[in-house]
Amino acid sequence: MDLKQLCEIHAPAGEEKRIRKALLAEARSLCGEENVRIDRMGNVLCFKKGREPGKPHVCVSAHMDEVGFIIMGATEDGLLRFRPIGSIDPRVVVSKRILVGEDLVPGVIGAMAIHLQSAADRERVLDYDGLFIDIGAKSKDEALGKCPAGTYAYFDTPYMTFGDGFVCAKALDDRVGCYTILELLKDSYPCDVTFAFVTLEEGGMRGSQGAAFAIQPDIAINLEGTAANDLGNVDSQFQVCCPGQGVAVSFMDKSSISQRRLFQKMLAIARENDVPHQVKRGVTGSNDAANYQRAASGALTCVLSVPCRYIHSGASVCCLSDVDAQIQLTRAFLNNV
Amino acid sequence: MQTENFLREITAVPGLSGNEAAVAHAIADAFRPCCDEVRIDALNSVIGHIQGSGPKVMLCAHLDEIGLIVADIEKDGAVRFSNVGGVDPRILPGMRVTVYAKETLMGVVGAKAPHLLTDKEKKKNYRREDLFIDLGMSPERVKSLVQVGDLISLEVGVTSLLNGRLAGKTMDDRSCVAILLRAMERLKKMDTTADLYFVASCQEEIGGYGAMTSAYGIDPDFAVVLDVTHAKTPGAPDLEVFDLTAPVAAKGPYLNPYLRDRLAEVAKEINVTLQDEIVPRYTSTDADDITISRCGVPTVLIELPVKYMHTSVELLDLHALEESARLLAAFCAAIEDRWRDEIWI
Amino acid sequence: MLRDTLKTLLSAWGPSGNEHAVAEAIKALVAPHVDDMHVDALGNLIVQKYGSDENGKRIAFSAHMDHIGFVVTDIDENGFLRVNNVGGINQSISNARHVLFENGTEGVLYCQPAKGETPAMKHLFIDIGAESRTDAEQNVQIGDMAVYAPDCFEIGANRIASPAMDDRCACALLCELLMYLDEPKNTVIGIFSTQEEVGLRGSHVAAYSVAPDIGVGLDVTAWGDTPEVKLPSVQLGKGAAVKFIDRSMIASPSVRDALLKAAEDAGVPAQREVLPFGGQDGASLQHTRAGVPAGCLSIPCRYVHSPVEVIDMRDMESALRILLQFIENA
Repeated sequence: MDLKQLCEIHAPAGEEKRIRKALLAEARSLCGEENVRIDRMGNVLCFKKGREPGKPHVCVSAHMDEVGFIIMGATEDGLLRFRPIGSIDPRVVVSKRILVGEDLVPGVIGAMAIHLQSAADRERVLDYDGLFIDIGAKSKDEALGKCPAGTYAYFDTPYMTFGDGFVCAKALDDRVGCYTILELLKDSYPCDVTFAFVTLEEGGMRGSQGAAFAIQPDIAINLEGTAANDLGNVDSQFQVCCPGQGVAVSFMDKSSISQRRLFQKMLAIARENDVPHQVKRGVTGSNDAANYQRAASGALTCVLSVPCRYIHSGASVCCLSDVDAQIQLTRAFLNNV
Repeated sequence: MQTENFLREITAVPGLSGNEAAVAHAIADAFRPCCDEVRIDALNSVIGHIQGSGPKVMLCAHLDEIGLIVADIEKDGAVRFSNVGGVDPRILPGMRVTVYAKETLMGVVGAKAPHLLTDKEKKKNYRREDLFIDLGMSPERVKSLVQVGDLISLEVGVTSLLNGRLAGKTMDDRSCVAILLRAMERLKKMDTTADLYFVASCQEEIGGYGAMTSAYGIDPDFAVVLDVTHAKTPGAPDLEVFDLTAPVAAKGPYLNPYLRDRLAEVAKEINVTLQDEIVPRYTSTDADDITISRCGVPTVLIELPVKYMHTSVELLDLHALEESARLLAAFCAAIEDRWRDEIWI
Repeated sequence: MLRDTLKTLLSAWGPSGNEHAVAEAIKALVAPHVDDMHVDALGNLIVQKYGSDENGKRIAFSAHMDHIGFVVTDIDENGFLRVNNVGGINQSISNARHVLFENGTEGVLYCQPAKGETPAMKHLFIDIGAESRTDAEQNVQIGDMAVYAPDCFEIGANRIASPAMDDRCACALLCELLMYLDEPKNTVIGIFSTQEEVGLRGSHVAAYSVAPDIGVGLDVTAWGDTPEVKLPSVQLGKGAAVKFIDRSMIASPSVRDALLKAAEDAGVPAQREVLPFGGQDGASLQHTRAGVPAGCLSIPCRYVHSPVEVIDMRDMESALRILLQFIENA
């Protein structure tokens, strides 16, 4: 399965069934039916027995879900009311194409034409109370008949390669991590490894709580797509990481502090194996590493991320060489534990 | 009438978050005739067990209530307080309260008289710091009886209204404890294989700690959480309020879609009207903690609409309460072993 | 004795996530007095002193080793370090401070907001005397942490000021408790926890692995006895404070009342604490597994989260006596 196929599967947090099915099939063919299971949070856990005894048990985790929307109701004249699943800035959803529900009903998010806006309107930030998905329905009944309240909706963004090795797609956060795991599942390692595709990261980091408790690894490596904030003449102190400069290694973010020696070990392994890498500088953002670190009696954790621009929007951008670097560094780490 | 009497009695028993021993014992006594075993756990959650051979299911409604706690005593005997759980300070001026001091004392929440406020001050809401409790005693008497840390509960009393509606303190969430109790009574006359744990959880109003710890102890396959939600009142945001007269079941990423579908099927079969609530993120109920206990617990959330939540006049409809209990009992009876395997497929 | 232990621990370097130096100092102090010591995945130091009674209880006390600090997120071309906070840093008191890195690099923390802007984290930088980025990188890397330079001085007859008082004073108390315990019937577990200032992270996993019968958090609490401050009603020098409530937990009535009774039995003063904010390790102990009755004993501390946190040694003495009695009574 390639990154394009992974990104184009629609699976917002809470409705991961399509991606779960795809990953389950792929993982079973790569590491054997009996080594793959679904846990009580709907996570897909794949176990690879290590070649050498006595090594620590490592978990490599990526989340399968993405940001999206959920239908809340409809207006009398047939516009769908909705809310985001995960944090999506309402300023980035206007004038976007959307697909609603299992039948992929096409819709658009419009806004009042600029000609009709008063000076005050133009200043005002649109919020979700003032935004609607228009599927062309003529009435509330028609709209809710097609797309009842509780139906999920997705960004309709085709996967596109552009520039010099860059790609623009929805759901790069965290299908890049899922892709990395699928690549890593092809090999075997000295240590026992549990590869985890987890649910519900967006909007609360929930799936990994169950996975972490079920696995209770000694070390957990969390694979992410993370915000870059590099382009547009951004002052150096506000840049987080730069697409094209390698996999980003975190020392700290909002939800966890990487164990110092593991962080340093990771940088050393990257240097020794000539893997392009960078230190992630910003300390904002939360991710599943927090749950692996703090489940049960705790684990050592580190986060390896592919830098992504415009994360949590319909069109994020990353550099394919960074995905390769994420695969290489994770593989090198597993071989050096 | 039976349910109304239970509510009248149980809402009069103090049970501020973290200090629920009295209400826990009262609820344990009420559960006992319907359960194989009842116990009170380390943090004061009540756990009633009805044995079965099928999936282990936790059914949970919280028993604790919001209130106040003595933070300081002024030289003149005015009692300053802090809150236990989310108390809206705007409901407090003029509220009669009970202070559990060396003796149980009645008091009233006082504030500076409106005649003495500037126009600007009148436009502002009262903040907790502006308010105090007047115990009608000399400062010496107050100081001899009251200590920092003494608990204060809001005005007690249940008022019967038209159309089988009741208003009073702590309907959040004792009304759902009543649902648990009514469902147990119904289940005695029904066939069920599920292994059922009825939990009246403590410490919900300060963060779901009771549900979190009892879920860990029970380690259930599934959970059903019962809590109150908002009924329609003028001016309230329409996506978050519901008809007072029927139960609500939530849908959203934190809750299990498979169990939610089963619940809807059961409701249809027994003709219970079930309203949909869409919750895009956390539910602000015990479900948030139970779903991530241990390896995870697939959970459904059933809600009883209540008006004026977190006041001392929380208003509910007894028919909606009874319908919720009927639904809960039927759902318990419908639980099958195969659900465990089918839930994610 | 208590004073010496305290001073030793105040001099150790240890922001959240990098507490190993504090752990080493504590190990050296308590090693002769405990039966078992280990450090877990999060760096928590967990020590045990076994009780003589087989049916005795397992009582855990938790005091956190970390304190607030700064982490380097960027080094500019002139060698200035940009930082982010680790834990609850108040920007308005972070201006013009002496800071220290683990490797001994010293620096000056300065805050330079543009005209009309309110001071924020983005206006803070550390000057380590470097003249260029390369120069700075000889000593400091992105991801390195700094703390207010360790300091300790006495004010008045009974009071001591230090930037690390939160929570080294409780670490010192717990060390002394372990030293004083003479063949207790109950097993006493000391958790010297990590990462409390970033959200009770260390104690969360320590509580799980220890799974005690009773838990007690040991921490500083805010004060109400300086100009313009009214709540909580806790005062310095009036004894240790038995917690009723804070934002992280409501003390289990059984533990809270046992602490109050221990104070009474020991004949030392204790205060009652109602704190409308704040949190501490007792919460982790109470909420772990299927729930553990837990409370908290606090040392009143003025100017918490500043470089001059002040406590009163009489409150430390009161706390030690209460805890010894508490273990005896349990």
